Amino acid sequence: MAADQDLAVSCRGLLKTYGTGEAMVTALQGVDLDVRQGELMMLVGPSGCGKTTLISVMAGILDQSEGDCRVFGQDLMHLRNHAKLAFRARNIGFVFQAYNLLPTLTAAENVTVPLLINGVGRKEALKKAEQVLEQVGLGTRTRSLPSQLSGGQQQRVAIARAIIHEPRLIVCDEPTSALDHETGHKVMELLKGIAMGRDRTLVIVTHDARIFEFADRIAEMDDGRVTRVVTNSSQLH
Amino acid sequence: MYRIALKMLMGDRGKYLGIIMGLTFASLIMTQQPAIFVGLIMRSYSFITDLGLPDIWVMDPEVQWVDDIKPLQDTELYRVRGVAGVAWAMPLYKGLLKARLPNGMFQTCIVVGLDDATLVGGPPRMVEGRLADLRRADAVIIDIDGAREKLSQPPAVPGGKRVELKVGDTLELNDHRAVVVGFSKNTRTILSQPVLYTTYSRAKQFAPRERKMLSFILAKAASDESLAAVTRRIGATTGLAAYSREEFMGVTFRYFLKNTGIPINFGVSVMLGFIVGAAIAGQTFYSFTRENLRQFGVLKAMGTSNWMLLRMILLQATLVGMIGYGLGVGLTSLFGWAMRNTILAFKFPWYLLLFSGIGVTLICAFAALISIRRVIRLEPAVVFKS
Amino acid sequence: MFTRYLLPLLALAGFLFGVYMVVTGNKPIPVAEAVAQPAQAPFASFIAGSGLVEARSENIAIGTPLPGVVTRVAVRAGERVKAGQILFELDDREARAEEGVRRAATARARAGVEEAAASLKEAAILLQLAENVDDRRAISVEELERRRNAHAIARSRLDSAKAQVGQAEAELTAVRTTLDRLRVRALIDGEVLKVNIHPGEFAMAGITNPPLLVLGNLTELRIRVDIDENDAWRFRKEAKAVAYLRGNRDLKAELSFAYVEPYVIPKRSLTGDSTERVDTRVLQVLYRFDPSQLAAYVGQQMDVFIEAPDMIPQTAADRPPPDTRVLP
Repeated sequence: MAADQDLAVSCRGLLKTYGTGEAMVTALQGVDLDVRQGELMMLVGPSGCGKTTLISVMAGILDQSEGDCRVFGQDLMHLRNHAKLAFRARNIGFVFQAYNLLPTLTAAENVTVPLLINGVGRKEALKKAEQVLEQVGLGTRTRSLPSQLSGGQQQRVAIARAIIHEPRLIVCDEPTSALDHETGHKVMELLKGIAMGRDRTLVIVTHDARIFEFADRIAEMDDGRVTRVVTNSSQLH
Repeated sequence: MYRIALKMLMGDRGKYLGIIMGLTFASLIMTQQPAIFVGLIMRSYSFITDLGLPDIWVMDPEVQWVDDIKPLQDTELYRVRGVAGVAWAMPLYKGLLKARLPNGMFQTCIVVGLDDATLVGGPPRMVEGRLADLRRADAVIIDIDGAREKLSQPPAVPGGKRVELKVGDTLELNDHRAVVVGFSKNTRTILSQPVLYTTYSRAKQFAPRERKMLSFILAKAASDESLAAVTRRIGATTGLAAYSREEFMGVTFRYFLKNTGIPINFGVSVMLGFIVGAAIAGQTFYSFTRENLRQFGVLKAMGTSNWMLLRMILLQATLVGMIGYGLGVGLTSLFGWAMRNTILAFKFPWYLLLFSGIGVTLICAFAALISIRRVIRLEPAVVFKS
Repeated sequence: MFTRYLLPLLALAGFLFGVYMVVTGNKPIPVAEAVAQPAQAPFASFIAGSGLVEARSENIAIGTPLPGVVTRVAVRAGERVKAGQILFELDDREARAEEGVRRAATARARAGVEEAAASLKEAAILLQLAENVDDRRAISVEELERRRNAHAIARSRLDSAKAQVGQAEAELTAVRTTLDRLRVRALIDGEVLKVNIHPGEFAMAGITNPPLLVLGNLTELRIRVDIDENDAWRFRKEAKAVAYLRGNRDLKAELSFAYVEPYVIPKRSLTGDSTERVDTRVLQVLYRFDPSQLAAYVGQQMDVFIEAPDMIPQTAADRPPPDTRVLP
């Protein structure tokens, strides 16, 4: 399985159902997907197709009902809760559509959160946070509250937060859909430019066709399945 | 992470103040109302607490509380003195007599007659004069509050100051002359009647003729005897009821508990304070948590453990609890301080600090509990739902 | 800033203020010390009683046999008197007048005796003259009998007159006795404890309250101890006893047993109020003590402790302690 070494995420026959009995909803119906290390993979598809469920499983915040999902070779579902938390804290970065910054914390403080979770000291974390904010071009706004920042700036803070602890996998949920085209473009450039490192893998859920061009590969989903995987956005339509 | 928890809490100023106000209110009610209650109850047996020297009170077995006087025969005093382990025993007269003021007004007073020779049972503090002055002819000592209020006379000119009793003034007690020789500072009694001290034999002259006059026998246990053993022995040999000071306070206190509505009234107030405080603070705290649920979800997704979240919420609850408690206690103290020279019964013993502390802790624990339940059940996957 | 620092600071200040109020508001109430230390029994187990100091002779309430207005009080309170010494005198004018009358009557009776004696003498001479006549015809028998009778009558008259003198003298003595009874005297050596009469006051005969005069022998003081009848069974004659002066427990006297009055009497209330009803009886025991050991006055109350066996009957000791709770 030498090839598996290069895989960031490997999903086999993922099945996820919510609820039981008649109210049972099937979100994933056997997903097979590999994400290579260092790759920017986009998940696209109509809403309700299971994209969010899939990245939730990949990020280890949701357990699949059946199937196998390995992240950097780890079967998260069968890890002990504690180990799973530690794995997530160390290896996964999150970028959300609604930014999900803590409104009462300054930009720098928001950025430190993953480091704090990993047990890094506050001062050290703040220092690091300022560096990272500098990288995303917000070196002057470290003390601003999220409400004092524009949407794009907030998303950049979120990106800084996602990368500060140097995770190997960053999952992004519609990172640009709340932004105008230009800002979205900038955010994507940032993501691509800063986040993408040698062993950093990005999985981005989006239906924003304007940013497809940033993808290395695009997985199209429908009705709980990956219908196809393309390397070029032009192949989609 | 704790700093984050605190910032989350204080960042939402409205809710933060709401929670604290609720807790302050609860803590205020739970401290101030019991303080008044304790003040009233302590006044019910203030006559006993003011009398520090004797440690045993002997009385008729039917006596239910300190103002329920069922006099004894004078010879019982000597029988009590004869009980082994009694260092000394002294008579005490306590009764209600009408005092006639110089202007012809009448005022019911508590008259206390002390043993002529030793004057055991005197007032705790003298403001003017000495206790030994009671040995002078027709002498009485009056408590200063009574002298200033109930025993003072209306002003001579309209709008003027009330005329207070002075040393040397005379009163009439049951047609007998009484001369004021001093003033004492007493703890107020529950009905705030003026207290007059005089000697036992003089009190018997003042009092209307009765077959028995001896209200209480005040005794002291010998230093090498246990109080309980001596009171038991007095009871067994004389057939009288002998209580230690604390026991007699307890008897009086239980009488109040059983026979007056005071404890129920205050109990209801305290319960209302607790419930309203718990409702306001608990509800606001819970809604605060619910509003921040998404942020807790984010923290959870990023790898924060439930244990850490629990500690964060507990920290938040503890902080608001402590602030609310401190403010409530402070307001209560301010209230007590402002009222210190009024007739209001306000007593703030240490266990009320504990009591309201426990009350606030319960409210916070309750609020934290429902919040924690919610956060622990939270699926981190909600973070992806917009 | 307000929420972050001010509120916790305010809360801290409030709490500290509360603590301050607790500390200052709950200072222990000072204990009023007794003006004089109460007497404490020197025995482990004892009978306590109140004692009244009295004279060795008990306190003698002096009365007068005759009522009358006091004319002179011969003694002052505190004065020592000898037996027979006059204490006070009552108005004796009426008795003195009577004495004069009686004295005159005596003189008159004496004169009557002389008169009777003279009559007797005359009758005797006449009788003798008649008897010396030998001639029976010279004097009739009748005349002779008449003279004999006259002589006998005269002798009787003399006897009668003599008897009248005796009567008059006896009456005079009676009046003098009355006069003496108007002077009240001490019957024992002692000290005047109390004088309640003054010249001009009317002294009633019989028992008076207060007594006209109180007399007592103070060579030794006695103390009369009231022991509650409930404690009487514990009393032992040979037990040690100590009396303490009220008001100063350092002043005390060892007592030695004098006697016990084996008659339980109703307790006399020391308030002196006659309307007070009494329903306790007391055994009175008398002890003596040396007046030089303790400066006590007659009539003074003392606290007396008499050593006695432990009073708890075994059955009582086994009884449960009295219920200190309020009964419903």
